[in-house]
Amino acid sequence: MLIDIRDVYKIYGEGTEAEVRALDGVSLTIDRGEFVAVVGQSGSGKSTLMNILGCLDVPTRGTYLIDGQDVDDLDDAQLSHIRNREVGFIFQSYNLIQGLTAYENVELPLIYQNVSVFKRRDMVMEAMERVDIASRWKHHPSEMSGGQQQRVAIARAIAAKPPIIMADEPTGALDSHTGQEVLHFLQELNKEGSTVILITHDNSIAATARRIIRISDGRIVEDQEQEVDWL
Amino acid sequence: MKLGQAFKMAFKSIGGNKGRSFLTMLGIIIGVASVMTIVSVMMAQNKATLDRLKAMGTNRLEVYASLYNGNSVFDSLYDYCLYLDDYVEGVTPAGNYWGNVTYESKSGNSMDYPPEVYFGSDQYAIVNNFQLAEGRDLSKIDVDSYSNVCVLGARAARNFFDFTDPVGKSIQIDGVPFRVVGVYAEKDPDNDYSLDNVIVLPYTAARSLNQSVDMSQFYVKCRDGNALRQAKAMIEGFLTGICGDPNDYTNQKGYFYTYSNDEYTESINEQAQGMSLVLGGIAGISLLVGGIGIMNIMLVTVTERTKEIGIRRAIGAQRKSIVTQFLIESGTICGIGGVIGAAFGFLFTMLGGKMLLHLKTILLPSAGITLAAVLFSVVLGVIFGMYPAIKASGLQPVVALRAD
Repeated sequence: MLIDIRDVYKIYGEGTEAEVRALDGVSLTIDRGEFVAVVGQSGSGKSTLMNILGCLDVPTRGTYLIDGQDVDDLDDAQLSHIRNREVGFIFQSYNLIQGLTAYENVELPLIYQNVSVFKRRDMVMEAMERVDIASRWKHHPSEMSGGQQQRVAIARAIAAKPPIIMADEPTGALDSHTGQEVLHFLQELNKEGSTVILITHDNSIAATARRIIRISDGRIVEDQEQEVDWL
Repeated sequence: MKLGQAFKMAFKSIGGNKGRSFLTMLGIIIGVASVMTIVSVMMAQNKATLDRLKAMGTNRLEVYASLYNGNSVFDSLYDYCLYLDDYVEGVTPAGNYWGNVTYESKSGNSMDYPPEVYFGSDQYAIVNNFQLAEGRDLSKIDVDSYSNVCVLGARAARNFFDFTDPVGKSIQIDGVPFRVVGVYAEKDPDNDYSLDNVIVLPYTAARSLNQSVDMSQFYVKCRDGNALRQAKAMIEGFLTGICGDPNDYTNQKGYFYTYSNDEYTESINEQAQGMSLVLGGIAGISLLVGGIGIMNIMLVTVTERTKEIGIRRAIGAQRKSIVTQFLIESGTICGIGGVIGAAFGFLFTMLGGKMLLHLKTILLPSAGITLAAVLFSVVLGVIFGMYPAIKASGLQPVVALRAD
């Protein structure tokens, strides 16, 4: 079992009148090689779920085992290691560093892995070529369109070839054509063996996933697998 | 992450945000340069005042004494001062002569700053803090034999003889020739009204100038402050014997009073101490203002940097990697800013010395103030440059990512 969360709560302002239960007792397992869409309305807790799965946040209560290891027992170095090597993030707002070029942004996770400079160059260019953005390697994020920035972000997510890709509304800021391209790309990665977790509010996007987890008010209300045509 | 990589990353970040890097540096540059300049110029001003006072001669007693019958009291005062050898180093008249000094085609009256002609004894140099540079000083024989000789201050020598040797040549004072026997070393190079722009004659030479000369004012140089007080009391007693009691209105013999510029020196010293306090205050305030400027620039970038730190954390940077990168980054920016600021501080201090204080020599800031200004600004810059890193790297990455 790659991801195994048990009875996880994320509660803001617990015990006060303004208490918000972003996650209200969620249990979930995800296997290697799955393509999971977590779908729900805004405020349903789906992003909170992804943040916890990606070790960007910690649950208020509950257990999270990744590869059988309890995240609660890990220190900063080990958590950083997971974010660095196990998970590639794709965000709705790209989250590129403005002061760095496309190349330097893609290179960043490899630098934190201590990959040598020559190997790094190959890996960066390979990732950028895969998403067809290599020609823009010298440009800064502000000099690129939204679609191009998202490609750079995807290249950064896949540069280190992490086994898990987590995408939070990756198509949210893109036009439908570019959005479709991103979706196809995620499907490609899944075919190659990556575990893909896609967060979306859009039912039509969720409908392309092999497994759909519907979440509402911090609880899983539906969890179903389906046949897809792209496999 | 390796340290070399952290350096590369820091430099990339500096280069990638040239505007922010420049503003940060600007804060440091202005802080360092202004503190160095203000403090150095004020210190120099203070020192110039004290130096001039010292050049005029310390532990010096001024004596005004005259007899109503027109006789000079100097001879007897001179002899009495020899007797006071334990307290007194020398005594000389302080009278001066208003006349035109000429040498070949040069004329004192057509100079911007004409030389002043003084009447002195053989102890004139001791009393007025002059050191002999060339030739010989006035001697007792010159005084006793009414010799038409003179010693030049360094400025006067330069004004009349440029850089040639004046010893042995003759200048004319109102047409009367005086042979130059020596030149004093320069002691007051920075003032236009220089204490070196003088010509000293034996006071007995007044006779050959055939003019009435005020010979009622004398300087007595004492060995130290204590000797000055002793000598003052004894000389007052002695002069009472010659001139009578100056406070007695029925006294028909003469008049005298004494004055020591050490009272003045003391008050200047007190002023100097006060100035030091004010200076310290100004320096402190300048540093504070410079520091607040640095803080502001660093703090306004916190949100932007918090987001960046969130991104870095999300893709796997450890907390210590982030803190290391920011330490190198702000250390480099502030270090460069400190060096540039110090360079400007030197420049402005030199300009200030030239244009505000009109110094002839080049004014440079002291090592102490340079070090203090640079260290303070750089340390402050580094601390506040690291502030977002220390704060944001402790957050959950998702919280840092949300900063906008």
